[in-house]
Amino acid sequence: MMLKYREVDWQLIVAALLLSVIGILLVMSAQHYADSTFKQDYFQRQLIWLGIALIVFALIVHLPFRLYDFSAYLFYAFALILLILVLFAGTSRMGSTRWFSFGAINFAPSDLAKLALIFALSRFFAYTKLPTTSKRRLALSSLLMLVPVLLILKQPDLGTALVFPVLLFALWFWSGLSPVYLILILSPLVSLIAASHWIAWAVYLGLLFIFLFFCRPGTAFSAITVLANLATGTIMPLMWGRLADYQKQRILTFLDPGTDPRGAGYQIIQSKIAIGSGGLWGKGLLKGSQTRLDFLPERHTDFIFSVLGEEFGLWGGLLVIGLFAFIFIKAIRIAGRSRSKFVSNIVIGATTLLLFQFIVNVGMTLGFMPVTGLPLPFLSYGGTSLVLTWTLIGLIVAAGYRWQEY
Amino acid sequence: MRFGREKLSITERVRLAIAVVLLVVLVSLFGLVKLQIFQHRQLYQMSENNRIRVLPIIPKRGLIYDREGRVIADNRPSYTVSVVPVEEVRYRTLPQLSILLGLDTLHIRSRIQSNMVSRYQPAAVRRDVPFEAVAILEEQYTRFPGVTYQMERVRQYAANLGVESFTGYVGEISEEELQESGMNYVRPGNVIGKKGLEKKYDRILRGSEGTAYIEVSANGQIIGEYTEKPPIKAVPGTDITLSIDIDLQRASIEALDTFCCGGIVAIDPRSGGVLAMVSNPTYDANIFSGVIPESLWQAISSDTTHPLLNRPLKGLYPPGSPIKLLTLGAGLEEGVVTPTTSFKSCAGGYQFGNRFFGCWKPEGHGVLHAVHAIEESCDVYFYQLGVALGVDKLSHYMDLSGFGRPTGIDLPGEEKGLNPNSAYYDRRYGQGRWSRGLVLNNAIGQGELLVNLFQMAQFYCGLVNHGVVYRPHLVHMIHYPNQLPEIVAPELAYKLPFSPATLRLLNEGIRLVVQGEEGTARHLKNAFYSLGGKTGTAENPHGENHSWFVGAAPLDSVEIVVAAIVENAGHGSEVAAPLVAKIIDAYMLKKEGMKALMLAEDAQPEISEQ
Repeated sequence: MMLKYREVDWQLIVAALLLSVIGILLVMSAQHYADSTFKQDYFQRQLIWLGIALIVFALIVHLPFRLYDFSAYLFYAFALILLILVLFAGTSRMGSTRWFSFGAINFAPSDLAKLALIFALSRFFAYTKLPTTSKRRLALSSLLMLVPVLLILKQPDLGTALVFPVLLFALWFWSGLSPVYLILILSPLVSLIAASHWIAWAVYLGLLFIFLFFCRPGTAFSAITVLANLATGTIMPLMWGRLADYQKQRILTFLDPGTDPRGAGYQIIQSKIAIGSGGLWGKGLLKGSQTRLDFLPERHTDFIFSVLGEEFGLWGGLLVIGLFAFIFIKAIRIAGRSRSKFVSNIVIGATTLLLFQFIVNVGMTLGFMPVTGLPLPFLSYGGTSLVLTWTLIGLIVAAGYRWQEY
Repeated sequence: MRFGREKLSITERVRLAIAVVLLVVLVSLFGLVKLQIFQHRQLYQMSENNRIRVLPIIPKRGLIYDREGRVIADNRPSYTVSVVPVEEVRYRTLPQLSILLGLDTLHIRSRIQSNMVSRYQPAAVRRDVPFEAVAILEEQYTRFPGVTYQMERVRQYAANLGVESFTGYVGEISEEELQESGMNYVRPGNVIGKKGLEKKYDRILRGSEGTAYIEVSANGQIIGEYTEKPPIKAVPGTDITLSIDIDLQRASIEALDTFCCGGIVAIDPRSGGVLAMVSNPTYDANIFSGVIPESLWQAISSDTTHPLLNRPLKGLYPPGSPIKLLTLGAGLEEGVVTPTTSFKSCAGGYQFGNRFFGCWKPEGHGVLHAVHAIEESCDVYFYQLGVALGVDKLSHYMDLSGFGRPTGIDLPGEEKGLNPNSAYYDRRYGQGRWSRGLVLNNAIGQGELLVNLFQMAQFYCGLVNHGVVYRPHLVHMIHYPNQLPEIVAPELAYKLPFSPATLRLLNEGIRLVVQGEEGTARHLKNAFYSLGGKTGTAENPHGENHSWFVGAAPLDSVEIVVAAIVENAGHGSEVAAPLVAKIIDAYMLKKEGMKALMLAEDAQPEISEQ
């Protein structure tokens, strides 16, 4: 399988490499003044993991998509087994059992599950004969998504679990579900938020009915939608009580970090201070005081973007956002050009995953998303994250190269 | 793009997807710009605030010296032993520390828990640790990983000299004190003078705080000095020298100690400088420098002899017979009596209206006049004198002589006593509902009259000093930095309302009390120096009489006036008088001793050149 290197999308690869290098620099800065030598190893480790990730990337680019097509459901089942296994044989840390430990290496099966779901859903939507709006189709795909989600929620890991419905939603969209249905599917969520005040909820329900009247998606669909909206609207107060304290706290501090500046809100406040204090040009590499003096917690993982903001200022932020946008748009175009639905679905799945992590992480550092613990692709320290990210990039690049074949 | 239920074309889907990406980009950009452009200034300021700590530099408190430069109050180091939690070694640090401090490990653990600020900062375990323990910590530091000590200065007072009656003590500033000061030069947590000189001269004694700027990490770990802002130097407190003489102070407290309760004040009439001041029972001001055990505080505050009551300053007593000097002086000035006038004979008492007022000597004194009435302290003479003067005249002279008004001693909280006149009696009993007979008691220092020790001493200072009263004061010199010490000049307070002739007579009375053949204190007469004074026995409705004596010496040119009151001790001549004599003896001995020393030095032949 010789590649015609001229037809590989080098621009995308360069953008991804640039982001990885920036990530290495930021991790180096983040742990440069850390108070223990263990932490100072992060920089070297990240370098090694990048090497491994690039090897995996090279491998993926050379592999045919037929392979994934063939093994998709098997891979999915394998992931499910691992998810069940980790609940029993995994190591617990801070109240959740998410990892298998092999010495110093931790492996979280939920990351594998993300990939497996992409493959499974891609295959499902590629070959199913069911019409787009068929309830069966929606139900089956939801089931595919729900099984791993429930297992992940059992660990518990709310943050990672959120990715899965988003993937499903993206693939519903990409496989042809029109925006009207997508909006109606999202409506129960809006109902949940609107139900915080009964006037808002009443107004919202009114708007919903007007919308249904104009679009007329079919009696069954409308009925389900209305029921779902009513359900989330009324159950919301009940559900609130059943959330664990730290989750409640996360939501509350997201809404107003100032109320608890020493605790959960502390991270968000410190992140905003770090980013804002960078200004236009930033304080310079290794010179960020918030980073250097330990004021920014989790700075090498969750808050790596804050290190970027503090040390490189607005121009650094613009560069990174620009590179990400470049990659995303290229990937979407590749998906659009693919003749195989399977490949196109995979590319969209991969892009959605990366985009979702991006907005959740950056949004958190900027203060408009709650703290979730999702890493920023390419930049956050983390071997699994880096390898997974490059795997996805590999799939996208491979799809881009092979669009003529499919 | 059709917005309906139909499937979108691929191109439309691509466009919509790209639109979503652009939306995400836009939102991120918006967030970044908001923080890094619009809020940049304030967030930058916050990032600086995060890492810069402002530390106060507390200067040493000014020292208090006696007139000869001996230390009355100074500062001693107090060591606080702490543990830095992150550096503690299990099974090593705490057991070792437990042996050293004599506290059990659980106790130490709980102290660390409650005082912990962060894992990287020391948590105080015990304050005021003895120096020996600290020396061991310093020498054998490997035995105590994670243990540190900090030194702070703590006030220390000369012990067993009764100095707390004028020094007062210091303590942590309270809410009310913060409000009063208007936060101009004190902060919460500061140490401030609470009583006495420490309070009155707090501004001078405390100096002014400096500021150090240090850089810290989020753990509270100190990184180092913040080089961009230089520290502001602290100004040390100013020292003060008092007129107090520690030797007299010691003599006073030793003399008073054998009795339960009372007070002594010794003043130099030539300047108003206070030579000694004691209150008994008293407490040790040093206990307030450390942490007072609850039990000790309870014991002190519930003690029925009131050790916290400062008797010279706040104790109000009926003046008793010593006031007769004033009554006589008033009578002479008003022309009601002459040096030789006498009234009805004293046969043990005097009938006024339907009441019989007794004299302290039941057998009576016979006929006495002026100075001899003083000498023998005949009550009957003074009853009649009082009647002749009347309540208001007497009260007027008392007011002119400084009674019923604060003396203005440089200590906070002086009680001004009570100088009753008809207006007062009208208010108290109702107009027309009180008898003129009240003046009889006033004339001999009983009744509603109330005075404090300083007022009494001050009056006698005036008597022996040609009628000139200097304001009593404790502080003699203030040692401002970088200049010669400022000497507090004696301040003329007022002149007694007596003519020189009257004063001469009154002084003769004072002389006769000790030197006269019938003097109530003739047993104090000695061959070494000429002592004078006045005895007194104040009736106390709550118990036994209080014993008064005011002494002055040497009579031709008085240098020291000592006023003493001993509560519930009976006759003045028996108790207070010998007490005062002891103190004046000590003064005279010291003076003679110094004279002898100087004479001896003069007598030494100079080493002549060979």
